[in-house]
Amino acid sequence: MTATTTAAKATPADAKSGRTMPTWLPGLIGTVVIIVAWQLIAMLWGGERHVVASPTEILRTLGDDGWKLYGPNIWATVREAAQGWFWGNLLAITLAVIFVQVPVIEQGLLRLAVASYCLPIIAIAPVLVILFRGETSKIILAAISVFFTTLISMLVGLRSADQASLDLVHAYGGRSWAQMRKVRLPGSLPSLFVGLRIAAPAALLGAIVGEYLGADRGLGVVMINSQSALNVPRTWGIALVATAVAGFFYGLTALVERLVAPWAVKARQ
Amino acid sequence: MALLGPSGCGKSTILRILADLEKPTSGTALVHGQAPETTRRKHELGIAFQDSALLPWRSVESNIKLPLEVSGVSKSRQDISDLIKLVGLESFTKARPSQLSGGMRQRVAIARALVIDPKILLLDEPFGALDEMTRQRLNLELQRIWTERATTTLLVTHSVAEAVFLADQVAVMTPRPGRIMETVTIDLPRPRTPAMMRSPEFHALGDRLSDLLFTGGIPNSGDDK
Repeated sequence: MTATTTAAKATPADAKSGRTMPTWLPGLIGTVVIIVAWQLIAMLWGGERHVVASPTEILRTLGDDGWKLYGPNIWATVREAAQGWFWGNLLAITLAVIFVQVPVIEQGLLRLAVASYCLPIIAIAPVLVILFRGETSKIILAAISVFFTTLISMLVGLRSADQASLDLVHAYGGRSWAQMRKVRLPGSLPSLFVGLRIAAPAALLGAIVGEYLGADRGLGVVMINSQSALNVPRTWGIALVATAVAGFFYGLTALVERLVAPWAVKARQ
Repeated sequence: MALLGPSGCGKSTILRILADLEKPTSGTALVHGQAPETTRRKHELGIAFQDSALLPWRSVESNIKLPLEVSGVSKSRQDISDLIKLVGLESFTKARPSQLSGGMRQRVAIARALVIDPKILLLDEPFGALDEMTRQRLNLELQRIWTERATTTLLVTHSVAEAVFLADQVAVMTPRPGRIMETVTIDLPRPRTPAMMRSPEFHALGDRLSDLLFTGGIPNSGDDK
């Protein structure tokens, strides 16, 4: 809500500054300034010990490593993250629906959900790695990373249903399940997608943390290896790639939202 | 039948009880001789609120079909398009609520209330949030709709002119405690025209209702806490 009002208020101001420069220009200038400054610092103080890798060096290493290094590792991490994303979200959405339909269950289980969120995943990760072999521990970590945010955004979405619309369904003889299907579920999409957009990068993070603690391949594994080999440019390169992958899935979620709930996107503007 | 009274006297509550959205604290309510719950379960009830309550993800046509989906009553495509024509929205069949004006949204709400051929139509200030001009026009249309689909209607309103213009009978309610003070029969001929609103008979009835509302309320105010 607040974001919408500020955005609406910001429009006239933007239009005014738009006469002098397009809106994307300040962002681009800022990025360029940071990269140039970084390059200078790396050249002046980075020295031979490569403590600070310069942007050109990072890009060169990234190019040299290429798809051969990144391809299989991105694939491994994305596969774990995607499965965790799926199961974590599925569980969260199902629970949210049950909570709204049977409020008694919520009182008991919501506390457990909050606990799952407060528990740092770095603390539970070693336990899971011992308990489950192979990909499973990473999938569970990715699932835990997305579970709570999706649960809460779905709950908010289901609860924000228009009371008059709910009354209407009731007046035509519908029960609470009809209210859920016709009003609450479609109406929850905008809120759900807020949670899902955060969930994509969060699932990747969960999977990478899992890989840190032992795996055959994945971005987390190469990250640790290049770090212990003091290959600073590659460590940076991996960070860049991980960011790009997370950003890609964030954008993909936003795109899907436009296709699935165009009315919601329109309403927000 | 119109239910007229000051705000807070319980007009909407009566309507909500009849729609089985609320339970009376005491006593029973009957709709055509049966309990509101029975009416609701038999899908004999149409309802429209001040807020159109259209689902933003559905088109006009699909919003009108909502009661059918919920109640399991089926209607032919022809019935639906006739209904859309009845409320004058035939060129907006596929439009989304966000593309419609406030008046058009209320037309959709009326069409939606009529789609299951209800035995009773409950209207809770359906045009209350609209501007005066749109409101007048829609009141005329509502009258035309009634001539095509005669349905027992309970209209909740706080406008004296609207009550006289639309109703056969007006039940005037007292402010807290909300009681029906008197039921006034409006014997103006139908169809009623805007010109009639300037006639002495119309004014006489309006004054009568206003008297009941304002001066009739005074003796009761002593009963208030």
